[in-house]
Amino acid sequence: MTLIGVPGRSGGIAVVRRLAGHLARGLVMILVVTTISFLIIRNIPGDPMAAKYEKLVEQGMSPEAAQQAVNVLYGFMPTGSMWEQYLDYMKGLARLDLGQSLTVPGTGVGTVLMSAAKWTLIPVLAGTLLSFLVGIILGVYAAIKRQGKLGDLLAISGSLLHGVPQYVLALLLGAIFTTLIPILPAGGTADIMFEPGFNAGYIGSLIQHATLPVVTYALASYGGWILAMKSSVVTVLGDDFILAAELRGMKRSIIFRYIARNAILPLFTILALSLGMLFGGAIFIERIFNYPGLGLMLIDSITGRDYALMGGAFLLITVAIIIANIAADLLYTVIDPRVRSGGEAA
Amino acid sequence: MTASTIMPEARSASAALRRNFWRGVWRVMKRKPSRMVGVVIMAGFAFMGIFGPMLYPERLPRDTNALYAAPSWAHPFGTDFEGTDVLALVVTGARYVLLTGLVTAVITVVLGAGIGLFAGFRRGRWDTVLMRITDMKLTIPGLPLLLVLSTIWKFTSAIEMGLVLGLLGWGGVARAVRSQTLSLRERGFVEAARGLGLSTPHIIGRELLPSMAPYIAMNMLIAVTGAVYAQVGLFFLGVLPFEANNWGVMLNLAVFGGGALTTTAALPYLLAPLLAILLLTLGIVLVVDAMDEIFNPRLREE
Repeated sequence: MTLIGVPGRSGGIAVVRRLAGHLARGLVMILVVTTISFLIIRNIPGDPMAAKYEKLVEQGMSPEAAQQAVNVLYGFMPTGSMWEQYLDYMKGLARLDLGQSLTVPGTGVGTVLMSAAKWTLIPVLAGTLLSFLVGIILGVYAAIKRQGKLGDLLAISGSLLHGVPQYVLALLLGAIFTTLIPILPAGGTADIMFEPGFNAGYIGSLIQHATLPVVTYALASYGGWILAMKSSVVTVLGDDFILAAELRGMKRSIIFRYIARNAILPLFTILALSLGMLFGGAIFIERIFNYPGLGLMLIDSITGRDYALMGGAFLLITVAIIIANIAADLLYTVIDPRVRSGGEAA
Repeated sequence: MTASTIMPEARSASAALRRNFWRGVWRVMKRKPSRMVGVVIMAGFAFMGIFGPMLYPERLPRDTNALYAAPSWAHPFGTDFEGTDVLALVVTGARYVLLTGLVTAVITVVLGAGIGLFAGFRRGRWDTVLMRITDMKLTIPGLPLLLVLSTIWKFTSAIEMGLVLGLLGWGGVARAVRSQTLSLRERGFVEAARGLGLSTPHIIGRELLPSMAPYIAMNMLIAVTGAVYAQVGLFFLGVLPFEANNWGVMLNLAVFGGGALTTTAALPYLLAPLLAILLLTLGIVLVVDAMDEIFNPRLREE
C-alpha cells in the first residue's frame, strides 16, 4: 500500500506549504472566534460597560478618567463607535491584554486564566493518556477476538461509553463514589488542612481529588479509542504484509507489533477531536466536581456577570481546541511516512 | 411528481416493492430482539412526549409532608424538594426535551442536506467556500459558544432552543452528505439522467436524494441525540432561566440544590432523569443499528 514518494526536496516544500495553510486557517479561525467574543460582550443586554461608566461618573470621576477605567476593565472605550471598540479590543488581544477580572479585582484576566488553566490541562491530558493506552490495547484485542463473546462485549462497552454524554458519566460516578460509597471527595482540588506544597499529605489529597475528574475524562474518550482502534486493526489485518508475516512463520508477538504500529497511525487524527471534546466536556466535569479549571471559570464568569473574564475563558478554550486540531494534523503528517511525501521512507 | 402521473402497472409495482420493504424491515427486526426493544423504547418516549403532560394536572400535586421522599409505590422515584413526584416530573418534562430534539433534527437535516447536496453537486468555488465554512463550524466548539451566547439571548423555549442547536449543528451532516453526493454523482444512473437531459432539480430531488434518504435519516436520529444531550446539559449548568420543567432543570436542582452528590436523600431525584437520558440513548442506538441493516443491503446478506 506504500505510495511512491516524490523526491525529497518537493516533499519538504509540500510540508512547509501544508504548515502555512494550517497556520493561515488557524489565524482566520481565531479571528472569527475573537469577533464572536467581541460582538457578544458588546451586545450584552443592559450594556455593562456603559453602566459602569455612568456609575463612575456619578461617583465623581471625570469622564476621561472613567473612560480609562472602563477601558482597563474591558479592553475598549465605553463611548465610541463599534469599529473603534472592535479595533481597541483586537489591539488589546494582540498584546495579550484581555482586560481585568471583576471577581478578583485588580487582577488581569490573563493571570486568572493562567492559574485556572493547569487545573484543566493536567487532568485532561492525564485522562486522555489513560484512555488512549487502555483503549488501543483493548481495541486490538476486540479486533482479533471480534468473533467471540469478549470481543463483542468490548465493542458494546465502547459504543455505550462513546454515546453517553460526559455529564451523565460524571454524575453517575459522583453518585456512586461520593454518595453511595463515599470513598472519594465530592469536589475541590485538595483538602484545606494540607499546606499546598511538595509534601506527601498535599500531593495525596491532590491525587484523591483529581481521581474522579481524570477517570471521567478517561471513560468519556475510551469508547472512541476502542472503536477506532478496532476498525483500524480490522483493516490492517486484511493487508498482505500480515499474511506474508504469518506465512513466514513469525512469532505472534512480532505480528502483533506490526499490526499495532500500522493500525495506530489513523488514530492520531482522532486525538485532536478527542482533546477538543474533552476541553468542551471540562465545562461539565469541572462544574460537577467543583474543580477550578477553565470550564468552571467560564460558568462562574457567566453567572457572576464577569464579562471580560468570560470572553477570556471562551477565547482560551476555543483557541486551545483550534491549536490542538492543527497540531494533530501536523503530527499525523510527521509520523505517517505515507502522508509525509518524500523523505527517507520513500 | 403527483400520484396521478404514475401509470397503473408502475403503481402496483411500487406497492409490491413497498410490501417487500416492510417484509425486509420485519425480518431485520426479528433477527435481533434488541432492535424491537429499541423501537418499543422510542415509541414509549414518543407517547410520553405527546400525551405525558395530559396525564397529569397543569400544576403537579405537591406533598409537603414528603420532601425528598424515598422511592415507594406512590412515588416510584421518590419526590423532589417540594414533594412533587419525580416520575411525574420526568414524564411531563419529556415533551420539552423531545420537541427540542425534533426541531433541531429538522433544521440540521434541511440545512445540512441542502448545503451538502449543493456543494457536492456544484463543486468548484461554491463547494470550496461552503466547505470552509463547514470546517470552521466544526472546529469551533459548540458548548462554550452556546454558553457565551446565553448571555445575550435567553433561548429557553423549546422552539428557540431547537433553532439555536440546529443552526449550530448542521456541519457534520453537510460534510457527510457532500461526500456522498460526490461519489453518487459519478454513478451510472446520474449519468443516464443527465444524458436524458433531465433538469438539475430533478436529478438532485428525484435521483440523488432518494438514494441518500436512509443515510440522512440516520444522521437525523443522531442529531436528535445530540440535541437532547446539549439542551439537558445547558439547563443542568444553570445558565438559562428555568421556565418549563425538563430533565436538565431536574438535574440542576438535584445536584446544586439538593446536594445529590453529597447526601443520599436526593439521589433518586438525580438518577431518574439520568435513567431517562440513558434509555432514550439506548433506544436511538438500537433503532439506528436496525436502520443500518435495513438500508444497507451489504450488511443484510449473511
